Amino acid sequence: MKYIGLLIVAVCGGILLSATSDFPDWGYSQSPASTYLSNHYIEKSIEETGVPNLVTSVLADYRSFDTMFETAVIFCAGLVCFLLLRNYNRQKKFFYRHISTGVVLCFKDNCKNLPASKKFEQMDADWIPHDLIIMTVCRILIPFIQIYALYVVAHGDFSPGGGFQGGVIFGSSFILLAISYNLQTAMKKIKEKILGLLSALGVLIYVGIGIICMFLGGNFLDYSQLAKILPVDPIHVRALGMLGVEIGVGIAVMAVMVVIYVNIASEGRHDEGL
Amino acid sequence: MNFFVLLFLIIGLVFFTGGAVGIIRMPDFYSRLHPAGKLDTLGILAMVLGFALFNLKTFSISELLLSIKMLLIVFFVFLSSPTATHSIVDAGIRAGLRHWTKEDKR
Repeated sequence: MKYIGLLIVAVCGGILLSATSDFPDWGYSQSPASTYLSNHYIEKSIEETGVPNLVTSVLADYRSFDTMFETAVIFCAGLVCFLLLRNYNRQKKFFYRHISTGVVLCFKDNCKNLPASKKFEQMDADWIPHDLIIMTVCRILIPFIQIYALYVVAHGDFSPGGGFQGGVIFGSSFILLAISYNLQTAMKKIKEKILGLLSALGVLIYVGIGIICMFLGGNFLDYSQLAKILPVDPIHVRALGMLGVEIGVGIAVMAVMVVIYVNIASEGRHDEGL
Repeated sequence: MNFFVLLFLIIGLVFFTGGAVGIIRMPDFYSRLHPAGKLDTLGILAMVLGFALFNLKTFSISELLLSIKMLLIVFFVFLSSPTATHSIVDAGIRAGLRHWTKEDKR
């Protein structure tokens, strides 16, 4: 069975490689893409979409369908990480540390999982003491990182940025929290269930905007149809539709980043801080 | 004004050069982190001060705002760069890496 799979992969790869030889050369001026498409984007994109940033207008308007499935792919990546790595088996041993004295208690397999209280905190076998400098600086920096991420998402129409980049920055602020404190602190701020919901919600926002456009009488993801329900002029409404789509992408990317980090860093047990 | 801009840029260049030479020439892991953490931070301060002054040649509110944003970059680098170096040193000590002494070979 393994060899059949290998054979199929090798044959598909060979076909794809042989097909690349038929592509036009790099920078070949007579290729279809550079004769019609690029010129059209460069000349018409502002009057057609109303967004000054050419990259955003191509990504979120002309090729919106492509970007929608990219978001779906990211959602699938998070889902696969969760399904493959998440481990609900209980640990063999539990360690609890008395906070004021530093005495560590070890509980064996058959005893109940004590909830962490004010006097005792649960810890791992390879626990290391928290570093005050790193904790303080990260606590100061995390709000700035999050504001910057929101700026990148919201300003994606006018300057470099957009949903993917902003989502990654926002997710990295939670990862920074998990690194500088520990994983349990980060998972208290944003629950695992909420992460799963958010990653699906991002894709839902994207597809939902497309379907609303369809119900209003246009094509799928034809943002100009949104002018029927929003009180703005038809050119500006395309930029507004793109912003909505970018927000969806940002939410999905943020949640998936955190899911992937949390599952890989703790091998799916969600108890261990790095 | 131009004199100060050039002065700051040259000071920054000197610090950056020192940092680059130090990273190559220092004998071990910990001492290499020292130029990486310190000299680069100071180099960025001097460099960006030069840029901010150069930007203020034609004084207006928007230019002033841009200069303040540049100084914000310095602020965040000042916070994050030494902290990153500190955490790397911490990780090295926890992992059990010995520091360099005079008897060791380079």
